[in-house]
Amino acid sequence: MMNQLQKNETYKRKIALRNTAIVVGCAVLLVLSFIISMNTGYTKLPPSDTLRTLFGGGTARENLILFDFRLPRIVVSILVGAGLALSGCIIQGITKNALADPGLLGINAGAGLMIILYVLFFGAHSFLSVFTLPFLALFGAGITAGIIYALAFKKGEGIAPLRLILTGVAVQAGLSSLTTVLVVKLADTQFDFVATWQAGSIWASNWKFVLALLPWLLLLIPYVLSKSRVLDVLNLGDDVAHSLGATVERERRGLLAASVALAASCVAVSGSISFVGLIAPHLARQLVGPRHRILLPICALTGAVLVSAADTIARVVAQPAGIPTGIMVAIIGAPYFLYLLAKSRY
Amino acid sequence: MMNLNSIATENLAVAYEDNLVVNGLNMQIPQGKITAIIGPNGCGKSTVLKTVGRILKPKNGMVYLNGDDIRRFTTKEVAQKMAILPQSPQAPAGLTVGELVAYGRFPYQRGLDKLKPEDNKIIAWALEVTKLTELETTAVDNLSGGQRQRVWIAMALAQQTDLILLDEPTTYLDLSYQLEVLELLYRLNREQGCTIVMVLHDLNLAARFADYMVAIRCGDIICHGAPEEIMTTKVLRETFRIDAKIITEPRTGRPTCISYDLIKENEPRPYMKEGAK
Repeated sequence: MMNQLQKNETYKRKIALRNTAIVVGCAVLLVLSFIISMNTGYTKLPPSDTLRTLFGGGTARENLILFDFRLPRIVVSILVGAGLALSGCIIQGITKNALADPGLLGINAGAGLMIILYVLFFGAHSFLSVFTLPFLALFGAGITAGIIYALAFKKGEGIAPLRLILTGVAVQAGLSSLTTVLVVKLADTQFDFVATWQAGSIWASNWKFVLALLPWLLLLIPYVLSKSRVLDVLNLGDDVAHSLGATVERERRGLLAASVALAASCVAVSGSISFVGLIAPHLARQLVGPRHRILLPICALTGAVLVSAADTIARVVAQPAGIPTGIMVAIIGAPYFLYLLAKSRY
Repeated sequence: MMNLNSIATENLAVAYEDNLVVNGLNMQIPQGKITAIIGPNGCGKSTVLKTVGRILKPKNGMVYLNGDDIRRFTTKEVAQKMAILPQSPQAPAGLTVGELVAYGRFPYQRGLDKLKPEDNKIIAWALEVTKLTELETTAVDNLSGGQRQRVWIAMALAQQTDLILLDEPTTYLDLSYQLEVLELLYRLNREQGCTIVMVLHDLNLAARFADYMVAIRCGDIICHGAPEEIMTTKVLRETFRIDAKIITEPRTGRPTCISYDLIKENEPRPYMKEGAK
C-alpha cells in the first residue's frame, strides 16, 4: 500500500517535471521563432547586425526595417496566436467538442461582415481605421455571438452545446453569403483590402496595431486564466458541473463572451486566421492533457509559436509579396490536423 | 457524521417546456438509507432525481434540504452537502483517475487556489474507499466500465457529502460490474453512513440493495416502502403493467421477480404452457 502511494507520488512529480519541461520547450521555440523572424525577410539581417540594431547601434535603414517593419509584425503575430488559441481552447472546453473553434461562433463571419460594411461606407484608408477596427470587429462578432446564443437558448434547459454548434454553423453560413453579396459591390481598392483581410494577412506592420490589441489581451487573458478550474468542471458536462456547484449558465456566458472578445480583437488586426483556434488547443492537449491550469498557458504558447512561425515562413517563401499568414497557418496546420485525426481513436 | 443531511420534496411539479412530467410529488428520503427509485421508461425518474439535485428547476413546489428551501443555499453550499451523478458521465480524454477525483474538491476551492494538504488527504481517502489507489495515475479512458463508475463515485465522495444521488449507475455495465458498483454503494452506506438515492431499472438489484423503494409511474408515486412492500404483484402491475411472479430469494432474503408477463386480457400467449396462470 505504502509502496503504491510512493509510486503515485513519484509519477506525479515526473508529470510536474515534464510539464515544466514542456513550458520551457515552448518558450524556447517561441524565442527561436522570434529571432529567426527578425533575421528573415526581403532584406536579410544577419544575427550580429540584428543584435547591434536592437541595442541601438543600427543604421537608419536597419532601424527602419527592424523597429518599424519587423518587430511590430512579430509582436502582433505572437499576440494574435496566443489570443486565438485561448479563444479556441475556451470554446472547445465549454462545448465539449474538439472540432469547435472561434469561427464557429460566427466570430470571423460577424467581424468580417462588419469590416466590409465599414470599408463600404468609409473607405479602406480612413483615419480611424486602426483603433476602430477592433471595436468594429468586436461589435460585429458580439452581435453574431449574441444572436447564436439567443437562438440556441431554450428556457429551462439553457444552452445545449450541440445546439450551440449547429446554430453557429447555420448563422455563420448565412453571414458568409451576405458577405459575398457585399464583396461584389466593393470598388477595386476596397476589394483588395477586404480580400487581404479575409486571407488573414498580418498587414499590421506598425506599433499602432500592437497598441490596439494589447489592452484587450491584458484584460481578457487574466480573466480566462482565473477561470481554469471552472473550465475543467464544465468539461465534465453540464450535469456534473451543476453537481460540483458551478453556476453553469452564468460561467458559460462569461467565458463565451471572453472567448468572442479575444478572437474578435485578434481577428480585427490580423484578418481571418481561423485554423489556430482549432489546432493549438489540440496540440496543447496532446502535450499536457486536459487540465486547464496548465493547458491554457501551453495553448497560448503553442498558438504564438504557430502564428509567428507561419508568418516567418509566409514572408520567406514567396518574396517579396509573401503569402498571407492565415493561409500559411492552414498549409502547415491542415496536414498535421489530418494526422491527428488519423491517429486518434474516434 | 452526526448531522446527516436530509432531503424531501413537497408538491413538486416539473415540466419540460409545457409538458408536465412530474406533478404534486411528495417524497421524504430516509436518512442514512439506500433508496431506489423504480418505474417504467419516461415516467420521470431521472427528472425527479435531477430536480431534487437542483439541476432542473421545478415549475411548482419545493425541494427541502435539511428542512430549508434548497434555493436558499448557493449552488456551492449545496455541492458541499449533496452530490449527484448523471447517467453515464464522460471524462475528458487523457484525464487521470486522481485528477478527476480531485475535481470533487471544486466546491471548497476559490479563485486560483491550489489543492491544500487536507484536500489531498480527502482525495487519497476517496481513492482508498473506492479501491482506486492503484489506478490513481491511470487515464480514465483506459478503465473498464465498472472501474470508471467507481471513479465518478470517488469524485462524489471527495465532495465530502453524505448525500449521493445517482441516475442509473449500472447502465451499460456487464452483470459483474453492476454488482461491483452496487456493492461499493452498499459499503459506503453501511461503513461511511452515506444516504444513497438511485434510479435503477433492474428491479431485482433494486430490491437486493435498497432499504427503501419508491415506485413511480407518470410522475406520480404509486407506492413507497420496504422492498417487501414494493415488490408485490399488485404494485408491479400498477407501475409497469406487468404480471409478475415474486419469490423470496433464498441467498439474500430479499423479494425477487423470477418471471413476468405482459398483461393482456383474453389474448392468446402462444409461448406459455397450456393452463398456466
